[in-house]
Order: sequence, then structure tokens, then C-alpha cells
Amino acid sequence: MARQIRDWVSEWGELALDALREIWSHKLRSLLTLFGVVFGAASVVSMTSLSAALKTMAYDELSRMGMPHTFELIDRGPRADAERAADLRHVGLSIKDVRDLRNVRGVDAVYARDWSDARLVSTLLDQRVIPVEGVDVGYLSFRNYPIVRGRELVPLDIVNAARVVVIGEELVEPFFGTADPIGRTVTIDGLRFKVVGVVAPVELELVPADFSFLARRMYVPYTWVTQYHRGQQRVDQVFLKVADDADFPSVLESGRMYLKQRHLGADDFEVENSAADVAEDLAMADGILSGWNVVLFTIAGVTLIVGGIGLFSVLLISVRERVREIGIRAALGADDRSIRRLFLAESLTLALLGATVGLLGGTGLIKVTESIAQSFGREFTVPVNMPGAVMAIAFAILVGLLFGWYPASRAAKLDPIEAIREL
Amino acid sequence: MSLINAHGITKVYRLGRVDVPALRGVDVQVEQGEYVAITGPSGSGKSTLMHILGCLDSPSDGEYHLDGADISALRGRALARIRNQKVGFVFQTFNLMPRMTIDENVALPLQYRGGFSRRERLKRARALLERLGLGDRIGHRPDELSGGERQRVAVARSLVGEPAMLLVDEPTGNLDSKAGAEVLRTFREVHNAGNTIVMVTHDMHVAAEAQRSIHIADGKIAA
Ligand SMILES: Nc1ncnc2c1ncn2[C@@H]1O[C@H](COP(=O)(O)OP(=O)(O)O)[C@@H](O)[C@H]1O
Ligand SMILES: [Mg+2]
Repeated sequence: MARQIRDWVSEWGELALDALREIWSHKLRSLLTLFGVVFGAASVVSMTSLSAALKTMAYDELSRMGMPHTFELIDRGPRADAERAADLRHVGLSIKDVRDLRNVRGVDAVYARDWSDARLVSTLLDQRVIPVEGVDVGYLSFRNYPIVRGRELVPLDIVNAARVVVIGEELVEPFFGTADPIGRTVTIDGLRFKVVGVVAPVELELVPADFSFLARRMYVPYTWVTQYHRGQQRVDQVFLKVADDADFPSVLESGRMYLKQRHLGADDFEVENSAADVAEDLAMADGILSGWNVVLFTIAGVTLIVGGIGLFSVLLISVRERVREIGIRAALGADDRSIRRLFLAESLTLALLGATVGLLGGTGLIKVTESIAQSFGREFTVPVNMPGAVMAIAFAILVGLLFGWYPASRAAKLDPIEAIREL
Repeated sequence: MSLINAHGITKVYRLGRVDVPALRGVDVQVEQGEYVAITGPSGSGKSTLMHILGCLDSPSDGEYHLDGADISALRGRALARIRNQKVGFVFQTFNLMPRMTIDENVALPLQYRGGFSRRERLKRARALLERLGLGDRIGHRPDELSGGERQRVAVARSLVGEPAMLLVDEPTGNLDSKAGAEVLRTFREVHNAGNTIVMVTHDMHVAAEAQRSIHIADGKIAA
């Protein structure tokens, strides 16, 4: 078996070398023939690479704005029309719930949040009504909101319900002018808060979503909102981040059951699957990209077939030119299979040569795209797509076999005596 | 048993609706180690007979045994195999591969024989070229050689597979008399080394090189 493979490799290696010699002796003709295959291979590899890079980028952005592996528990206010006895025992989401939900198996992190309330905010420079959210430790990082100055909230801020605030970037100028806001004071509903950080909006290149509102808000410890401002123990919302290796649906279910039990069956909260939203968005992006891919592959396929037709005609010419040679080889003992192999090797070598040149050209095209994007100030890296490169080579082999078969068979069917008559 | 044993060989070519008989019942016997010339005027059927004896073509009718094997019924791949193993051709126009070196040219029949590595094939080819006095031409391409040298390369190629016989068609037809004489001397040496040669020619001086002549006229053996 090993010996057979070695023989086979050395035979085709020799055939390929002979074919290269033949191809080299018709440089211009070979070059023209190869254009189609070169373009086909170049488009396959550049398109798949580009499409893969766009996909990575879209996935990245969608995961950045969405919350993979996360579900939410949302406080449902007391129901006026409560009929069931259980609903009358309504308690709602509490700070204690937030603390204890960390114990649910499979939950990595828990972030409480109080929805924004419109509050009167003022400094010496300005005074206006601004949405103010109550958030948890690490919540801003969890949502991938970029902290551009200072810091976000730390555990002590939450435990102490400290009067500290992270402000949106767009609010810096009106409230503080050109001065550094970190360490300065803002007054929220008459109470003085220390500014500890500045948050910027999420910047997205591909996904058409507007996150500019983030920069027009303020973020304070949720404990301050619940305890000192609202004067109660209830929070609006809890995000539960599930461990990557945990089974998401069952963790979600046990989170729900856990809370339901604590609340003695009261129907006082809702569960929302944020991960499903992300998955939905990703699926939509996939759909758009795969529609694109169909177009791209059609283009690449057509180009390769055009290349194949070029290959076909040049091989027919080659066969006609080499009738004499076929006759000689037949006289020396070549049978139809050897003759067919001779021309198939030429076809495959041409196609592979074209594919190699195309791969190099496609890679060059990718680099050009990257540098154009960079000249526009965009960070856009396109790694060469390996499956695309393999596909281009495989396509070229297929084209070489498919379009080489008929000319090669025609050569193989030549009657040696007819071929020798040409002498 | 004779090396070549052909009986009642006929060959009819169809040209449109007309049958053109090229051979009409030819008997040929050649013994192992013989040097035989086939002579006759142009169009008499010499090449056709040579192609049949060389297993390039099959007779329309008749029986042909080569080296003990019945050839008449063989076609295609089986004939190709016999050609490769039993026959070495030398043509009037040399018919070397222009893009290969002369050693690669000489090695070519061994490629179709199978079972030889490229290195082995080239080694044998070079040894043979040395023997025929072409050692200093190894690595050159045919177009760098004189006509006489090219024909001797063709002789080396016909010998490399150690065939049962050489079939030679007008070997001096494209050569000046000096180069022709050189090539004929090579054939004499090859014959003296024990090889069987069947040579087609219309040149009486060339035919005189052989031990005996078979004369063909109009597709038949003439007296
Ligand atoms: N392929 C062919 N088709 C038709 N007629 C042929 C063919 N080959 C040879 N002939 C005819 O057969 C006869 C013998 O030809 P050939 O063997 O080439 O003679 P020679 O070699 O003695 O000149 C000629 O009349 C020639 O025209
Ligand atoms: Mg002739």
C-alpha cells in the first residue's frame, strides 16, 4: 500500500514536471488560459475571507451590544386584579434576592439594576433633568459600555449606597466645561454626588443600532436608588450571567424555580431570555451573510467555469499539436491510459498553477482592502480564510479534471497508426 | 520457432467507399539474430507491413506470431504492452521529444514498461548512450545534436528496453551519406551484439547491409 502510494506520487510528480515543461514552452498561451482559473481562485479566497471577516465583526458587535449567556429577572409590580391567593403575597425582587441568586448553580455573576428615573441634576454651569440609572458593581463592563475616564462602581459603593456617579460623556461639557470631571461634584435631586467615571457610547461599525443615549445618562449605585431614594428594598431587574460551560436552559429554569419558591409561588416577576435575542440577531446576520455567500460563490463558480472552458480549448489545441508526439509514445509502448494521464496531468498542472497564482492574488487583494480600510481610519483585519483557500484548490482540481477529461480522452483514443502517419 | 512468423497477412484500408488493399497475403519469417531488409518501391506496402510486424496496427486477415505469441487477435492495451516489451522502433525522422534531454528520450520506453525508478531509467539510458559513443552528449537536447547523432540516440532508445527485435523505417532517408554510413555502422554493431533487425528501405545500398532482403511490390512478396 505504502509502496503503491509512493509509486503513484512519483509517477504524477514526473508527469507534472513534464507538464510544467510543456506549459513553460507556451508561456503566453498558458498565461491567457489561466486567467479564468486565476480570477476564480482569487475571488473564492478573497470573498470567503472577506465574508468571514465581516461575520466575525458582526458577531463581535452583536455580542458586544447583546448579552450572550444571560437571562433577566424583572420585577412585576403588584397586580391590582390579583385573584389568586399567592399573588396577594406579592413581594417582588429584593436586594436579598439579588444576593442569594448568586448561589444558583451555573450562575457566574448577578447584576442588579434600577431603571432610570428622570432626576434634576445640576452643577454651577448647568441644570437639567437627566435619566439616572441605579447599577451594580461591574454592570457597565458587563454591558461593554466603555469607561473612558475614571472608574466604574466598586463593591464598597454598593454596600455603602455611596453617593458616587458615573456620567455619560456628552454630559461632561455642559456640566463641567473643559475641566476634568473626575472628583468633582454634581447635585442630584438636591444631594451631592462625587463623579468617579465617564462612560462613552458603544461604537458599532456594522450593526445599525444607536447607543448614543448611554452618553446622556448618569449611573449611581442601585442600592442608593432602592434604599435611600425609593425607600424600599425592591430592585427593577437582575441580570444573571450563566457560565459558558453550563447548560443555559436548565440554569434559567432553576433560577426561575428558585425565585418562585422564595416568593411562595407569587407571580411577581418575569423571566426574559437575553441570550435568545443575541442568538436571533446572530442568526439574522448569518442569513444576510449566507445570502451574500450564494452570490459570491456563483460569481466565483462562473469565473472558474469560464476558466475551465479556457483550459478545455487550450488542451484541445495542445492535443492536436502533439499528435505526432502521441504517435511516438504509442510506438514506444504507451497505452491509452498513459496518454490520457499525460494530458490530464497537463490540465491539472495548469489548473493548480492558476489556483496558486489566484491564491496569491486573492491574498494581495485582501491586503489591499485592509490598507484601504486603514487609510479611512478603520481597524479592519481580514485573515486569509483557510477553508476558502482549500476550496479554491479543490475547485481548481475539479475544473482541471472535468475540463481536461475530454481532451485527454480524445488524445487517448487516437489510433496510434493515424498518429504515426503524421510523421 | 522463428522470431517473426507471419502468414497470409492482408491489410485493407477503407477510403470512403473504396477499399484500398495495402497488403495482399504476405508471408514473412525472420529468425532470431537475423538482419533483414524489406525493400520495394514507394506505395508498395513496406510501412504498412512494418507497422503490423511492430504491433502498431493489426492485419485485416492472416496470422502473426511474434516470439511465440499469437498477435493477430490482440488490440489496444495488449498490443501496447507487446510493443513496449518486444519491439524497438527507429524512424526516418528520428522522432525524439524536442523538450527532453537525450537521456530522458532514451529512458522513455522504460517509463511505459513500469517498475523502474526515474533514476534507474536514466542510469540505463546513459549507459547505452555511452556504449553508442554519445556519452559527451548526455544532458543535451535533440536540437543540439547533428542528424546522425540524433538517429543514434533513436537507436539507443529502441534498444533500452531490450526488445526482441528492432524495426527500422528508412533510417538514412534524412541523412547525408556520411551520417548515413555512421548510422549503418551502428546497426551493424547492434546486430553483431546479437540483436534482430528488420529494416525497411528503398535504397539498395542500405539493403545491402542486411543478410537478406524481402522484396515487396504492390502489397505482395516479389521473387
Ligand atoms: N491510412 C491509410 N488509408 C488509406 N490508404 C493507406 C493508408 N496507409 C497506407 N495506405 C495505402 O496503402 C499503400 C501502402 O502504403 P505504405 O505501406 O505506406 O507503402 P510504403 O511504405 O511502401 O511507401 C499505399 O497505396 C497507401 O496509399
Ligand atoms: Mg513508407
